[in-house]
Amino acid sequence: MNGSQGSKLRLWSCAAILGAAAAMHSGLASAGYNDGKVFLTGGVFTVDGAGGGGAVPWATITGYETRDGINGGVGYTYANLPALQLNVFGGAIGFYDRFELSYATHKLSLNLSNLDTVALVAEAAGLDLGTDPWNSTLQMDVYGAKLRLFGDAVYTSDSWIPQVAIGGLYKENTTKELIRTLGANKAKDWEAYVAATKVFFPLSTLVNFTVRYTSANEIGLTGFGECSASGCTNDKEFRFEASVAHLLSKNTAIGFEYQQHGGNLDGKSVTVAGLPLTGLTDLLGGVLGGVEDALTQEKESDWMDVFFAYAPNKNLSFVIAYLMLGNISVAQDQNGFYMSMHATF
Amino acid sequence: MKLSKIGLSLFTGAALLAASAQPAFAGEQKTKPILGIPKSALDDFGGAAGVHAWVESLFYYIMLDNRISHIFREFGNVERQIALNTQLEQMVLGGAVEYQGASMSAAHADLGITMTQFNAVVEAAYNACERNNVPYKTCNHLIAALAPFTRVIVTR
Ligand code: HEM
Repeated sequence: MNGSQGSKLRLWSCAAILGAAAAMHSGLASAGYNDGKVFLTGGVFTVDGAGGGGAVPWATITGYETRDGINGGVGYTYANLPALQLNVFGGAIGFYDRFELSYATHKLSLNLSNLDTVALVAEAAGLDLGTDPWNSTLQMDVYGAKLRLFGDAVYTSDSWIPQVAIGGLYKENTTKELIRTLGANKAKDWEAYVAATKVFFPLSTLVNFTVRYTSANEIGLTGFGECSASGCTNDKEFRFEASVAHLLSKNTAIGFEYQQHGGNLDGKSVTVAGLPLTGLTDLLGGVLGGVEDALTQEKESDWMDVFFAYAPNKNLSFVIAYLMLGNISVAQDQNGFYMSMHATF
Repeated sequence: MKLSKIGLSLFTGAALLAASAQPAFAGEQKTKPILGIPKSALDDFGGAAGVHAWVESLFYYIMLDNRISHIFREFGNVERQIALNTQLEQMVLGGAVEYQGASMSAAHADLGITMTQFNAVVEAAYNACERNNVPYKTCNHLIAALAPFTRVIVTR
């Protein structure tokens, strides 16, 4: 397993981000340090690590720096859904309100009794599915970069031209066996996106549209592409995302987000060591009725959420959201709460 | 023929002079936010008196902010700026008020104002709204009306 290598890399990136943040804070880099941006206009901490909303990266550059300097922060997000809990830790640095580097690491715990049953049987049969009889955990690291191309999201109130940025994300899922079990093709892949953001002051509202070029299943948490009897594919496609944030006051916003998802794993049975589950269902047939049904993955839903964001000051912001993620893998109706904190330096 | 040529050159010379002197005298135009400014914006702000009170608060907060107060101490004339800003802000909110000061580009060209300093003034503007109980939404109409000046005020 390359787990130790992966975790070393993670440790390093965490250390690097914390180190950079501490350096900025202590004024070591005082020549470059800057926190002159207006409240909340750098966005908060997305699950991809990039600056933006909760799931959707924006064209704004992370942190409170203006074009005069450097800023950044660290974020932590927790989402609690009926069948899974997601923990995301990461950080991002914005350079001169122009360029952004980000990192996020995901731990997704699944508590799916049907998957656990498979794991039990598989363990008894001596197969490694990447699942654990009691709790399967998916892990993913996300490295990101974003470049602002043109426009000013905030001050060009006399023009329809938004701020536009392009970004790239490299996602590395370190739980390959589980990805295979769920029928995905690849555990590592890249994504690219174009985002356009604009603040409409007369409406006290920020609007963002993003188009992402990706083949991800559940943002990569369940891998990329798909494999079936006829072979494996990893076809990237353009998917649409949007955020609307209405500011109630200069440091408080409410809004909603939408993120289109693909259907790579729709209707796929959970596979065991590359074999479709049929063999295993026979094995289990006597124990449980309709196991195959229970192990057929649902149609992947688009993600939606409504959120409330509050920044008591420029060093801290909190987001509370209600997520409506619909079907995730073999689980339906994954709606639940989301809490995110973003500390900026 | 010669006379008319002289006349023409005199005329163009005068026009050039007027043009070069323009920034100091041309004043400033109303901005044109894409979503417009509601007719009630100035009233919502408390009319002329409301705008004047707001500008006074604005300068109170500006002079408290170490990041920018030195610029105003060194290059500004706070009394004049309060009077002129009261005119300008009424004008951009749709008031029938004549702004008698310099254009935004002429007034700020030599100051080398950074985006960080500009944002500090915007923060003071929001603080002034809060202090004067101007609702956030009303405040944003003024921000929308002043925002396009960023282009000429921020020169660094
Ligand atoms: C949208 C934002 C701003 C508006 C509407 C504005 C408006 C004005 C007005 C009306 C004047 C008077 C012009 C005259 O004397 O004829 C002025 C002058 C001045 N402004 Fe601004 N200003 C803005 C931003 C700033 C910023 C960000 C700074 C510095 C941080 C600044 C510093 C000054 C100074 C120092 C003067 C005096 C210049 C002189 O008398 O030579 N202004 N401004």
